[in-house]
Amino acid sequence: MLNLETLLTTGNLLYAGATTLILIGIAGMVLQRHLLRILLALTLVEAGVNLFLIAAGFRPNAAAPIAVAGQFPASMVDPIPQALVLTAIVIGVGVLALALALALQLQRHYGTLDMAAIAARLHAAPGRGSSSGLPVEPSHSGKESAS
Amino acid sequence: MTAEATVLLIVLPLFGAFLLPTIGRINASAAHWSGALLLALLPLLAIELWNLHSAGALPPLALGGYLAPLGIVLYPDRLSLTLVLALTLGSLLLWPRLHQNDATGRQATLMLLLVAGGNGLALAGDLFNAFVFYELVAVTSYALAAKLGSGDGYAAALRFLILSALGSALGLLGIALIYTLTGTLNFAHLAQHAAAFNSPLGITAFVLMVLGFGVKAELFPVNSWVPEVYGATSHRIAGLLAGIVSKLALLLLLRLITLLYSDVEVAGWLLFTLGLLGLISGELAAWRATDLRHTLAYSSIGQLGVMVMALSLPGESGMVALLALALHHLVVKPGLFLFSDGWHGTSLAGAARRGPWGGVLFLLFALSLIGVPPLPGFWAKLLFIREALAAGGPWLLAIAIILTATVLETAYLFRFLRRAYSRHGSAGYGAIGPDAALRASAFGATLVVGLLLLNPLTELLQQTAAEIIDTPSYIARVLDVPVEVTP
Repeated sequence: MLNLETLLTTGNLLYAGATTLILIGIAGMVLQRHLLRILLALTLVEAGVNLFLIAAGFRPNAAAPIAVAGQFPASMVDPIPQALVLTAIVIGVGVLALALALALQLQRHYGTLDMAAIAARLHAAPGRGSSSGLPVEPSHSGKESAS
Repeated sequence: MTAEATVLLIVLPLFGAFLLPTIGRINASAAHWSGALLLALLPLLAIELWNLHSAGALPPLALGGYLAPLGIVLYPDRLSLTLVLALTLGSLLLWPRLHQNDATGRQATLMLLLVAGGNGLALAGDLFNAFVFYELVAVTSYALAAKLGSGDGYAAALRFLILSALGSALGLLGIALIYTLTGTLNFAHLAQHAAAFNSPLGITAFVLMVLGFGVKAELFPVNSWVPEVYGATSHRIAGLLAGIVSKLALLLLLRLITLLYSDVEVAGWLLFTLGLLGLISGELAAWRATDLRHTLAYSSIGQLGVMVMALSLPGESGMVALLALALHHLVVKPGLFLFSDGWHGTSLAGAARRGPWGGVLFLLFALSLIGVPPLPGFWAKLLFIREALAAGGPWLLAIAIILTATVLETAYLFRFLRRAYSRHGSAGYGAIGPDAALRASAFGATLVVGLLLLNPLTELLQQTAAEIIDTPSYIARVLDVPVEVTP
């Protein structure tokens, strides 16, 4: 039988919170059309993953993993996930900065940040062959000499 | 040379990348050529290290003197050195041209960063460093894909970034799950705990990592960026991403499946299914596409699908088939992509008559990709089909689909050749430029050399494959006797 006491530990709550954040973020990335909202949702996913990593190193009633002379705590939280998360956060910031720089250029070229409209424009590019019904063989000379 | 030189494969290009913008401010062409020179040193270094490795004198490198599994380990073996060699030589052949409006050498800097990240990914001895270097490759490839001044280029790069960043987050989640399962991220240490991965949580981690890192490998459900980016970016970068960067992601998947998940049957079948779906969807879309760029983009999805399937082929000879397919694709795909600017749209008709050498090269690449004997592509496909026959069961279905795909490949590639040799083209207009022709000739020469040296190359592939599947010696080499580097 499920026992609420054992289920509602801090560790499990952390995992649940992280998973929820990830799911909210993914939902946002799929459902939103505006680029800035999509990037915000991406940040939520990354925050969720980082929280998950931190939760992986969590130990109940443990001290911070810092060695202080003369103090010997009974248990410390695992420091490795914290180091990993630091790296992951830095990478996330870099990617986000690049994305925003690209967004700026996109606004200049298209005048919109609506990703659905931009995707439609990309897919209308000639040659993808996805809009036509059958495999198209480029017609002979006629089209070329006209253009 | 000592084993410590391994680290130079990552440090040198990184150092160059940070120095180039500064040199570029003083003299643009000096920066451009010094970058190329630095890059040219790396294959020589890789060959030296290969010889050292063959002599048994290249142990894994424990950085900063901290031993595995606590420290960070670089693991140079035949597989990683092959990838390093391919990446450095490939990016040398695809080195950007000196451009008026690229005075600070932006492209050259990005190429060096990409090489640093790729070498790091190939050499990484633990999962987290593999992730970090994968991200470095990813970020540079977004920037390279964003063709300057083209709205579609920016849009494609941004959509690529969003998908790939989500993938990286999921991959990191998979890594976090692996850490909760085992408490370690060192490949050798993880391989010792491989039994832990045959659990629901372990398989979830595998699915997350495959989907996450499969983005760069053009894996089936996460490859929507491929036609967009290859359609909008320059032909060099398309070739680089399709031919070379995709193999880096494949290498990461290969390490996962051989070291961590070799006993988990579901993992193999997942790769088999995704690869098969990629093959079917890619080849059909390539057949439907009407311009060379998109055709090549979709066809590379199909061919990477075959390689992803080959990841789950059992045994040493399965690995040989995978390596042969990957190395062949690595040479042929960039070669073909170099045609996509000159042989484009209206300038395609009669292009091979105006530039006969281009026509010959395209024919060579196309025949090898289709797999016409005696070209290398034929032997790669033959190895794969032979191994698939031996594996039996659903692999027979895969063989039927691959043979059908070969017919499709013939159909779509020869559609372009026929048009290129057509007499109806407008005279004196459009062919591949001298720059692209020179680069394509270099890739063609590599292919011909590969054909001439087929026997020694096969032997090397067999040695490499034997090393890949030899997990016990991987563990022994990393955890027992790494050399120390004093900081």
